[in-house]
Amino acid sequence: MKYWLAGKQNSLLQKLTIFIVSFGIVFGGCGTVDLKVRKNLDHPNIHPNTVAILPFTLAGPTPEGVPVHRLFRECFFNYFSYLGYVDVPLETIDYKLQAAGMKKYKEVLGFSPEKLRDILAVDAVIKGRVLETNNFTGGIHAETSIKAKIEMIDLRTGETLWETEHKERIYSGILSPTVVEIIQDQMDNVKVHQALYKTAEMFSIGIMMKIPDPAEVWQKEIRLPEIKSIETNLKPNQKLKPNDRIYVNLKGDAGLKGSFGIGSWKSNIPLREISPGMYSGSYIVQESDEISSALIVGTLKNAQGLAGKRFYKHGMAVIEKSSLN
Amino acid sequence: MALSVSACATDLQTRVAGNLTALSKNQTVAILPVETSDPGQKEMAKMFRQGLYANLKQSKFHLLERYVIDGLLKQNKLTDPSTLLAINPMQFGEILGVDAIVFSRINKVERSYFVLHSSIELSVSVQMVDTRSGEILWRAEQTEQDFSGIGKIPTGITTALFAPIQFVTNKFNLSRMTSNMVDKLTVLVKHPNEADRENQFEKPVIAKNATNELKKIEDLQQLKAEWQEAMILDEEAELSDSSENLESNKESLVEITTKPDSNSVKKNIMQARSLVQERKRVESEMPPLSPKKEAKIPVPINLSQATTVEPIAVIESKEARPITRSHVGTSAKQLTSRKTQLYTIQVGAYKTKAHARKLEQSLKRKGYDVFITRNGKNIYRVQVDRFESKEDAIKLAHRIQIKEKLKNFVTRFSGV
Repeated sequence: MKYWLAGKQNSLLQKLTIFIVSFGIVFGGCGTVDLKVRKNLDHPNIHPNTVAILPFTLAGPTPEGVPVHRLFRECFFNYFSYLGYVDVPLETIDYKLQAAGMKKYKEVLGFSPEKLRDILAVDAVIKGRVLETNNFTGGIHAETSIKAKIEMIDLRTGETLWETEHKERIYSGILSPTVVEIIQDQMDNVKVHQALYKTAEMFSIGIMMKIPDPAEVWQKEIRLPEIKSIETNLKPNQKLKPNDRIYVNLKGDAGLKGSFGIGSWKSNIPLREISPGMYSGSYIVQESDEISSALIVGTLKNAQGLAGKRFYKHGMAVIEKSSLN
Repeated sequence: MALSVSACATDLQTRVAGNLTALSKNQTVAILPVETSDPGQKEMAKMFRQGLYANLKQSKFHLLERYVIDGLLKQNKLTDPSTLLAINPMQFGEILGVDAIVFSRINKVERSYFVLHSSIELSVSVQMVDTRSGEILWRAEQTEQDFSGIGKIPTGITTALFAPIQFVTNKFNLSRMTSNMVDKLTVLVKHPNEADRENQFEKPVIAKNATNELKKIEDLQQLKAEWQEAMILDEEAELSDSSENLESNKESLVEITTKPDSNSVKKNIMQARSLVQERKRVESEMPPLSPKKEAKIPVPINLSQATTVEPIAVIESKEARPITRSHVGTSAKQLTSRKTQLYTIQVGAYKTKAHARKLEQSLKRKGYDVFITRNGKNIYRVQVDRFESKEDAIKLAHRIQIKEKLKNFVTRFSGV
């Protein structure tokens, strides 16, 4: 009898728990993204490094003609860049595809992995298809949703690494728990572009939690360009005058793009590689220049855009206004 | 009424610097790991950093990849986000190779549940600092509150009970709130041109760490400038000494070693020592910007005279021969009394004797035969060893330069 009562209590508790959980899910207006990882990406050599997010395509009409596929792609890219991949800027991808003859976004779906690899020179691509969009406000019901299929394809093998087909939905209505939320959500939902962007954002946040992140794999391999030394002709407490020339010599890794800056006041003044690993450049102080205690900072940048920086600390660039008169 | 009671509250204070507009795609910004005030806020910290990334991707500067930042911080053993704010921004400039950094901290993540009412309160602080100048480009503090319960007029008795539970337990709400928070927080930094006057710093604000660092550099440069001046005076004095010597052809050399026998001199030395202590503290506190360790001894500023110089009016001895190490112990007077021209290596010249002493002691500990002389202009010269052969002196001078990283030159030994 005692056990029977205990069992009955447990059963009631279980039912209540299931009810609460279901209730929560329904009210949340959003299910979690079901991402299917097709290939085990645990081995470092398997993980793609460079990734291009191809133009997303659109299957049907969109509310108020908002280009949801573009909006979603940009939003997805912004969140995807947090993960440990080297992502190619969207403009670069579009430029390369157009240069290769792509006139409409849909054409990209027909490109073979080999062709895409030739055009984009990346390890993997992400393809996205917006299958359905909705934005509805009426009565006590408001809903914005985006249904899309997104997949990552390894261009080295042609295999699909992961894929998902998900519908992200933000809505309120009779199932919303409070009157205020219904009103507020309806007000938000009327702004179509904003509502669609918010939905795309929640879709992106959800999917990013599931996409395999190789950040740990690449972290060990990171190395910034090395600057061994930086020399300038600046002397302690020296005041510069117009037409004075600041010389900068920098010694470091060879074959890189060298530049120097004067504090944050002026940057990217080019340095020329006069011999392997030796960079040299100068700046002539102008009449209009006014600098108060700026440190000279040398920069060497590699092809991946990573920069090594080093400050020259034995002298500061100082051009006082009084020296101009 | 319902709306006024229930609309989620935002308290946002944000300011940008005029120089923020100067950041472009050519400048790189790093969003550092987010500091938390409680271990339970890690998930929120991750969401917040991700949100910052996604939002600042729309700004006009370039963001350094998150895995690059974390990898480089790990390589430099900077894995605790709570220690990052204490580090000088310039150091981050060299560690990460970026032009600006974003520090952020989760101040509060509070979920409250009171049967018919529940609430979530989030509070964050963010600061963007230019690594090249230490200037604060953007500073913001934001508190976001949202709740569910009777204040929002439940649609029924069931929802009155369950809405508060659902609100605080649903992960989606925290995620949504964080996302909304970052959206509002980053509006100004994405469009700094649109900032009202009240949202702009009146004048450039430099981060405290950077101010300290720049002050130290300036102090050090001031000191070096003084040394440089002293060095020039020393050379001038040497020139005049040698010409006087040539003219009068004096056989004995004047002993000019300082003897702090008077009280006033002692007092001066005490003052100078305290100055040295202060300078030393400044130097040792300066964060190492590169793994290579600098020599800790004060470096005399004779950079432009780094190469060896020709001694003026050298009287070559017919018996000139190198003084071997066994001569090191020979008394200076004995040496000078031989009337042969001797050479020594000058490694420093200071107006303050304490500075000279510091260098002298440092080199003595390393086994050098080092001594201090004072010239007619009251400049304390730190010199190493004596040689009959100039070549031998040059050899040791090179060794000192390489081994001790001390710029020096060979000069005539004028006695101690």
